[in-house]
Amino acid sequence: MRALLSNRAALMIPRLLGIVTLVFLFIHFIPGDPVDMMLGETAQPADKEALRRALGLDRPLLEQYARYVGGLMRGDLGHSLSFQSPVSQLVTSRYPATLELALGAVFIALLAAVPLGVLAAARPGTLIDRASVMFALLGVSIPNFALGPLLIIAFSISLAWFPVSGRGGLAHLVLPALTLGLSMAGILTRMTRASLIETLREDYVRTAHAKGLPAYRVLLTHALPNALTPILTILGLQFGTLLAGAIVTETIFAWPGIGQLTVNAIAARDYPLAQGCILAIGVGYIVVNSATDLLYTLIDPRVRSEGRND
Amino acid sequence: MKAGGLLWLSLAAACTPPDSLVPPGSLVIAFEAAPTTLDPRYSTDEKSSLIAELLYHGLTRLDEHGEPVMDLAASVQILDRTRYVFRLRPDFSFHDGSPVTAADVKATYESVLDPKTASPKRESLTVIERIDTPDERTVTFTLREPFTPFLDSTGLGILPATELGKNTRNVTVGCGPFRLARFRPGRDIVLAAAHGHPEGPSHLPGLVFKIIPDDTVRALELHRGELGLVQNAIDPDMIPWLRNQADLEVLSVPGTTFHYLGLNLSDRHLGRKQVRQAIALAIDRDAIIRHLLKGYGTPATGLLSPEHWAYATDVTSYPYDPARARELLDEAGFADPDGPGPLPRFRLLYKGSMLQVRRRFAEVLQEQLARVGVALDIRTYEWGTLYSDIRRGNFQLYALAWVGVSDPDIYYSLFHSKMKPPRGNNRGGYVDTEIDRLTEIGRRTADRAQRRDAYTAIQRRLATTLPVVPLWWAPTVVVKTRRLHSFFPQSNGTLRSLKDAWLDPH
Repeated sequence: MRALLSNRAALMIPRLLGIVTLVFLFIHFIPGDPVDMMLGETAQPADKEALRRALGLDRPLLEQYARYVGGLMRGDLGHSLSFQSPVSQLVTSRYPATLELALGAVFIALLAAVPLGVLAAARPGTLIDRASVMFALLGVSIPNFALGPLLIIAFSISLAWFPVSGRGGLAHLVLPALTLGLSMAGILTRMTRASLIETLREDYVRTAHAKGLPAYRVLLTHALPNALTPILTILGLQFGTLLAGAIVTETIFAWPGIGQLTVNAIAARDYPLAQGCILAIGVGYIVVNSATDLLYTLIDPRVRSEGRND
Repeated sequence: MKAGGLLWLSLAAACTPPDSLVPPGSLVIAFEAAPTTLDPRYSTDEKSSLIAELLYHGLTRLDEHGEPVMDLAASVQILDRTRYVFRLRPDFSFHDGSPVTAADVKATYESVLDPKTASPKRESLTVIERIDTPDERTVTFTLREPFTPFLDSTGLGILPATELGKNTRNVTVGCGPFRLARFRPGRDIVLAAAHGHPEGPSHLPGLVFKIIPDDTVRALELHRGELGLVQNAIDPDMIPWLRNQADLEVLSVPGTTFHYLGLNLSDRHLGRKQVRQAIALAIDRDAIIRHLLKGYGTPATGLLSPEHWAYATDVTSYPYDPARARELLDEAGFADPDGPGPLPRFRLLYKGSMLQVRRRFAEVLQEQLARVGVALDIRTYEWGTLYSDIRRGNFQLYALAWVGVSDPDIYYSLFHSKMKPPRGNNRGGYVDTEIDRLTEIGRRTADRAQRRDAYTAIQRRLATTLPVVPLWWAPTVVVKTRRLHSFFPQSNGTLRSLKDAWLDPH
């Protein structure tokens, strides 16, 4: 396990460097000038040049890159050009909201998808199976920009159970998490059902049944753990995507997450802030995927043994 | 349902701690976009400016006709057209309790003028040569040359010299009727009534500005009573529904925001005056206002709205006349190759932002220009890319708006031949020696009647040469709770009257 952890940690460094480099190049090559955005159209060219010099934007791109990476090594993400605040402060003020929303969505997705997927796999072709297919279909096919307002109208306006928008306590989290969680639940329900049905056809499951073990025990303790690997893969990918900020859901529910901050930073050509946001998103994605890899080893002994063979 | 509701309400109450920074009884206002900074040296976006008016006082402020009136200053004396002597009121204090003095005024202006501050407001103040403070209550600005619009630039919010000395980029201590209680970028801004304001305390204990980007959600929050006020941020389609809500009222006053179609005058088609006039005649503004804006707009004849002191009434206008538009295009040498057939006279490319109203307008424009034989391709871009293309002259047509037009000296920046980007806002590349001469007179003449004459001549000429095609003036539209009293929407959108507004208790 220790070897696996060090292996994953070592792999993170080139991945992060790749993200930093790509983000730096991408931001600098899209049209738009941060100095124009900051000083306005009527500023004197001399003032613009002076600001460009002060910000180091007049230096060769390679030198700017080296400075940026040097700053990162010291833990300095730079200063936002539009908010006039340190980037680290802005990113850390938004990331908890994104994490909270992503965790809420995953919780709702798992709560709905795993029981429904297990029931559907245990009773294929029955009413519950067909209901699970319908649920999954609805979950993946209703876009968030439609589901969000529908949930607001039903639960905030008609029933007045939850606030319409904003971030506060648990009540504020329910509707945005439900909006994101339901679409994720649709995918996970299908994946759980398919994976479990396949596992239930394995010889060892037949053996367990032949030994006279109760059906629920065979399903939950023998088949389900082995069926979890593909579910975990999808969950890891989906969770990582949510950490990039669910911009549509954030916009509908006025949720102050990293997605909106990133879009605003790019629109304002706020290079340091956009780079900081995308870097934070990249780190989140890599950490989640590395954690998913580690979870494989915990739930599947075959992966553990492969790790040892490495 | 009631049991479920109670369950969730108890859950909400248990999980949401009371917000100690929001004064009880505060008015909640929604913004569709977040202010980026509240430091008046840096704030240029509309939302930051609206809040700045409540946090700070400048030497002057603009009234509803776009004219500067005294604010922190009790009087101003203009000596030999280059020296402005402001006498400060003695009764203003900053929110930290220190009195507002001439030294604070000098420090604020010098901070903006310092290139190291990198303030976007520096350019409008570079005409200042020296600032003197002969005593605690007097500030004298000496200008390099006569510059009549100078008073227009003296609305800058004054900050305490002690705070400016700390060299931070986020000074938010002002002397306005409200003080900043909390600023969570992109989320909310909480203002609390400031004690000791010389014009008496605000009736409202506080203001909460919530950032709600989604149109529908803002309307639903209003419907639910979570919001008390939304200004110029409601989809026109939603207004009839909101008007029918018993607890809400919709107010509207003519506004100063000017929507226009920008044209690249170096283009071989758009460089021809007849083509520009034909485009102006081909646009059915009344239909756009009636259907797209649900009546919330007035066909525009130029940049200055009828509320402005320099507005000229007798300028050429372009009522919808597609037949005349076709004639003008024929005269310009762009005959329709197949008459009413599908082939166009020529194609143009329209670049616009991704805002819903702009996209809908582009589709209508496409349809209306097609009726006179001009094909329009539409491209929408995110703001940074669109702005960059417009600045670089990489466009044929675009639609934007000028917000907050005050001194008519703006004509100099928009249409003087020396003001092409990167120096100014003459994005279409308009060159007209007569306009150059008139805009220079406008900024140097102190006499109000002579200025009015110069700007009348400018408006008449631009209405004929059409470097931009006027579309409509947008009104200030407010949807507010009926519990809010004494709030009066203004044509320039200022929220200053919130100082004297009050809310009925629930």
